[in-house]
Amino acid sequence: MPAYAAKRLLSVFPVLFGLSVIVFLVMSMIPGDPATAILGAYATPENVERINRDLGLDKPLVQQYVIWIGNVLQGDFGRSFALNRPVLDEVLERFQATLVLAGVSLVLCAVIGLLAGVVSAVRQFGWADKVITFVVLAGISMPSFWLGLILILLFAVKWRLLPASGMYAIYGGGDFKDLLLHLILPATTLAVVAAGVIARLTRAAMLEVLRQDFVRTARAKGLPERQVIYRHAFRAAVVSVIPVIGIQAGFVLGGAVYIETVFQWPGIGAMLVNAISTRDILLVQGGVLVVAASYVLFNLAADMLQTMLDPRIRS
Amino acid sequence: MTDSLMVVPAPKAGSQRVSSWKLLFHNRLASIGLCLLGMLVLVALLAPVLPLPDPNATAPAERLRPVLSEGHLLGTDQLGRDILSRLIWGSRVSMTVGFSATLVAAVIGSAIGLVSGYAGGRTDNLMMRGVDMLMAFPYILLALAIVAVLGPGLMNALYAIAVVNIPFFARNVRGVTLALSHAEFVDAARLSGKGHVSILATEILPNVLPVIVITMSTTAGWMILETAGLSFLGLGAQPPQADLGSMLGEGRAQLFTAPHVSVVPGVMIFLIVISLNVLGDGIRDVLDPRLRSGALLRPGPRTAVDPDRTVPKPGNADAVLDVQGLETGFTRNGHYSAAVKDVSLYLQPGECLGLIGESGSGKSVTALSIMGLVNSPPGIIRNGAVYLHGEDVLAMPETKLIACRGSRVAYIFQDPLTTLHPMHPIGRQVEEAIAAHQRLDRSSLRECSIALLERVGIPDAGERAKHFPHQLSGGQRQRVGIAMALANDPDVIIADEPTTALDVTVQAQILDLLRELQKERGMALLFITHDFGVVADICDRVAVMKDGEVVETGDTRGLLANPQHAYTKRLIACVPEIGQGKQFLEHVSALFRPENWP
Amino acid sequence: MKRLFHRAAFAALLALVGFSPATAQTPPNVLVVGQIAEPKSLDPHAVTATNDFRILVNLYDGLVRYKDGTLEVEPALAENWTISDDGKTYTFKLRQGVTFHDGSEFNAEAVKFNFDRMLKEDHPFHDTGPFPLSFNFSAVEAVNVIDDSTVEFKLNEPFAPFLSNLAYPTGLIVSPAAVEQHGKDFGRHPSGTGPFRFAEWKSNQLVAAERNDAYWDGAPALEAVVFRPITDANTRIAEMMAGGIDIMVEVPPDNLASFRSDANLNVVEQAGPHVWFAILNTKEGPFADKLVRQAANFAVNKETLVNDVLQGTATVAAGPIPPAFNWVESSVEPYPHDPERAKQLLAEAGVENPKITFYVTEGGSGMLNPVTMGAAIQADLQAVGFDVAIETYEWNTFLGRVNEGLEGKADMAEMAWMTNDPDTVPYLTLRTDASPENGGFNSGYYSNPEVDELLAKARTSTDQAERAKLYAKVQEIVHEDAPWLFVANWVQNAVTTAAVQGFKLQPSFLLHLKDVTK
Repeated sequence: MPAYAAKRLLSVFPVLFGLSVIVFLVMSMIPGDPATAILGAYATPENVERINRDLGLDKPLVQQYVIWIGNVLQGDFGRSFALNRPVLDEVLERFQATLVLAGVSLVLCAVIGLLAGVVSAVRQFGWADKVITFVVLAGISMPSFWLGLILILLFAVKWRLLPASGMYAIYGGGDFKDLLLHLILPATTLAVVAAGVIARLTRAAMLEVLRQDFVRTARAKGLPERQVIYRHAFRAAVVSVIPVIGIQAGFVLGGAVYIETVFQWPGIGAMLVNAISTRDILLVQGGVLVVAASYVLFNLAADMLQTMLDPRIRS
Repeated sequence: MTDSLMVVPAPKAGSQRVSSWKLLFHNRLASIGLCLLGMLVLVALLAPVLPLPDPNATAPAERLRPVLSEGHLLGTDQLGRDILSRLIWGSRVSMTVGFSATLVAAVIGSAIGLVSGYAGGRTDNLMMRGVDMLMAFPYILLALAIVAVLGPGLMNALYAIAVVNIPFFARNVRGVTLALSHAEFVDAARLSGKGHVSILATEILPNVLPVIVITMSTTAGWMILETAGLSFLGLGAQPPQADLGSMLGEGRAQLFTAPHVSVVPGVMIFLIVISLNVLGDGIRDVLDPRLRSGALLRPGPRTAVDPDRTVPKPGNADAVLDVQGLETGFTRNGHYSAAVKDVSLYLQPGECLGLIGESGSGKSVTALSIMGLVNSPPGIIRNGAVYLHGEDVLAMPETKLIACRGSRVAYIFQDPLTTLHPMHPIGRQVEEAIAAHQRLDRSSLRECSIALLERVGIPDAGERAKHFPHQLSGGQRQRVGIAMALANDPDVIIADEPTTALDVTVQAQILDLLRELQKERGMALLFITHDFGVVADICDRVAVMKDGEVVETGDTRGLLANPQHAYTKRLIACVPEIGQGKQFLEHVSALFRPENWP
Repeated sequence: MKRLFHRAAFAALLALVGFSPATAQTPPNVLVVGQIAEPKSLDPHAVTATNDFRILVNLYDGLVRYKDGTLEVEPALAENWTISDDGKTYTFKLRQGVTFHDGSEFNAEAVKFNFDRMLKEDHPFHDTGPFPLSFNFSAVEAVNVIDDSTVEFKLNEPFAPFLSNLAYPTGLIVSPAAVEQHGKDFGRHPSGTGPFRFAEWKSNQLVAAERNDAYWDGAPALEAVVFRPITDANTRIAEMMAGGIDIMVEVPPDNLASFRSDANLNVVEQAGPHVWFAILNTKEGPFADKLVRQAANFAVNKETLVNDVLQGTATVAAGPIPPAFNWVESSVEPYPHDPERAKQLLAEAGVENPKITFYVTEGGSGMLNPVTMGAAIQADLQAVGFDVAIETYEWNTFLGRVNEGLEGKADMAEMAWMTNDPDTVPYLTLRTDASPENGGFNSGYYSNPEVDELLAKARTSTDQAERAKLYAKVQEIVHEDAPWLFVANWVQNAVTTAAVQGFKLQPSFLLHLKDVTK
């Protein structure tokens, strides 16, 4: 297993390398340049040229890339043009926030999705199943940014129960409770779609497992139904759902772009949108690499978990 | 002859299609989705002929009129444009873009998947790494970047969304293609000299099509949401053209002052997407062969019993188990068909009854009906009674029935690889069987289970107990199955083809073990098989089943010597050299008896 | 692992139990300001956005500053100054005993360091730039230290807006010691002489500054100010309504009306030198004809734009010089809404249905509601016969496209400017020599030698009365030539909670918080 994990980890690098090339190409194809973003309305061609020279953007693209990758291999991700700050500092700071949000969302969507899926399968066609099916369908059919706004409107503005935006209170906050309070709305919004997907899959997996021979064996042994469902059927169903949770990590990280904007979460998604618009190529590079790597790692973790839970794959 | 062969498939295909539609409509949710979507599409299509005001006519003085104001059913937006009109025209645009993007993604993604799966090797590897990269790129950013390069506009948003969704199609299609490219009919086509392109197009594609359709139907809703998302970020439709996303995005500025401006398009998006999702689920259920047979129904803890069943009186006072007039059947898509009819059997204490018949004759259904283990839905017991020590099992309350399972009647199933839980160690599975009926502490449970495993002939049972089923040989797995059945000293053991999945030598050992245990513990044994050789070896009496009915019963020796029913005769004739079977088995099993081990 | 899980579960429970309502109260005596974006840098010489200026004027002082409520200049770090008769030498007497927040001393050397860093390419800290607005001081030839408290600026020609530019945030004075210490990172470790000293910058969360007790002009009453970037307008409004911020600037017009009717909130408004217009491509296409340009000005109903779309948060613009420069005596009236006249002009020009490509942006500094306004303008133009296709671009792409000139791409583009002197906008955008290939912003290629001459004269004149007349003339000519579609002058606004006292907006668009109490 460690060998497998190491192999998977190594396979991250070609993907990241390819991505960095794509990012460089795409960013260079976007019209406009970082100089315009730095100069704002005062971007005269003359000023732009001077800044491009200062930033080394007048060199051929290939040369820029080679310089960049050379620096990266030495651990230097360059400086953000727009923020005038080392890329690595900004990316790590922002990524922490995203990791908290996406991590909590993932846990939330996994727990809710699995629970809802199991209940819905076990109570198939009962009222619980109907309610869950409807809620799940509604959840995956709603634009998440829209849901976020509605939640802010209700919970922060109308009822004043939760903070509307941000990660910590401005003053006196900063502790764990404060973070949790700020997390509830964005994490829930972000988890809705993924939880729906997971619930649907869990329901299907449970229904499939419940027909399998070993479940009949468990029944034939005279086990009570609860035990049949949770110890036998669920255990087998969850194994097939776990890789999907890994894939959902991609959607959660992607969806974070909207949610971070709506909730003013200081995460990497909002940063990347900004960085694309300011043509901040090095910041985009750094951000995309971190997000992509974490996506791959999430998937790896899901696979590992699956392997741990399923002895058949283990050996 | 050739003519009839040519003709036959046509009506069959036709009827299949009809039943697909019927199945789809049978799904209430899916038909609601279809109707809703049909209505929305119809309204959108009819937009040019409907009496709607110009969607782009501004009247700033009449801006932000509420819903239901005069002349504006859904009010007006921030420029005084009629929201209803913009909504309908906007839905038209959004649906067109969403569906086109789905189509583009499906075509490109499927092409990648087909080529990658078919070519395999390095091509496959390379293409899939590319797809991995697309997947690792946060999708909204990818779309953002694409639109940034191409410039804003609906067409470019369409491309962006299509590109983002290519991986789903590519991955799904590749998986199926990979399996198909080694299928026999593809090999055959290759040998017949067909080119790669023509094999892909004529052999593989038709078989992959359902997967593509399923993926399309399940992602179309998602794509509409993403189109809305891009327009929301201002990257889709250009003003003044309305599309749902841009209506939502522009109307958002009025969220706190005139919420209807953004709520209305939001609800519309919601309706379109939810109807698509519901319909997509329905299509998937119809097209997926596994789901089509109604496999996704949750089986209850016991087989359903018709409350109006006939309950015959017990026929044999001293029988442990007495099945009378049993009729079990299945309901599929509203149609009931019986699997066993009027089956009556009994078992005396310590007796071994063989239940024999070809596959599909109803032996297993009979056996499973006894303790209510036929999955229901779709199974149902329509008639008859099952007396266990004179008490009707079918009339027992659920808790009592469950208490009887394993403790008084235990089962041994056919394929121990699928009937043992693949993720629990075998020791634990045996312990569980004991714990279901006996209150014991952990260590005594462990001792008991190891003793049982030892008894059924598993060497080094203490160590083996920690193993998982897939780590054991077939024979050992079946021994575990037997150990579980023995765990609570049941009165009756029902063995449903326990040796069919095993090779001959192991078969003999298992039979030996069963016979030995039966003698030792005085249990009654209902032995289900299709092999007269096995029956001759182990059973006192035999019942022969055909098409769900018992056609002949009798003492093993007598029945073998003088079969009455033609079917029985045929079955017996099927066993090669019937006279030698027993000697052969005895000979082989003798070799493997524990006392003869080195 | 298990313990961690327990702890998390416990904390979740705690959060649910301790579900204290009204979580969003702002702390006492700390002012929380809702900003529209995160600042790019806190180096006043490196930024261009009004959003960033709002923070900077509270951290730094300039040699001079705008007098409260006006665009007139008054002493700040300089106690007084003299201007030579030829208008080319400015001598400033500096305030004594002022220290930067980092403890270093403010003196003539520090002033010289500031301007040399911006203007001299061979200055050792010139690479801590770029300094995009340094052209405001392009007339400065040399900065000389006369003595510790006297500094002299030598200009290469008389430059009327010089003092005004010094009062602009680009003229704020930074601590040389801090620049030397932090180099390129100075923008994240700012040090000035202002009423508040920088305390903390949490990426995309907040910039906090605390009271400078030693402030030379009297310490502020507030203990601290916190600037929160909230990019989404709806979220910003939600925070305002939820009580998460005390002040919000640039309130969207529709929300302003509802804030006005809320007794717990105060709405503050102030006109400033802002102009919102559409550049017309005078080089090619239909707008090369003056009649067609005038037709466009007659066709668009600007009254409706400012009163309905902008809900009265702007006034109709008559020409390139905003009325906020009230000393410019212009009597030019805006083009009235007259679709018939527009059709007539089009017929006169001999164009029936001119095809127009209209660049619209999605947002951007001072752009108000660009998409909605673009759509409204489009509808009005269509009504008189124009055939308008809109292309929308995100702000930076938009700027990139527009600033390099509209030739071959578009006929029309939205734009807005906020300035401090009537010279800036016409000088940068309406001169013949300000064409994009010459590094200017005249993206519509307007050229009128008379305007060029008037601008040159007004720029070098040190007599305000004379300048006033010259700019009035410019206003008149440009109005007639119609190189732009003149649309609106924004009245900036802000909303505060009732507890906030002493808050004022300035015509300069800056946000001085020294005298605010809460």
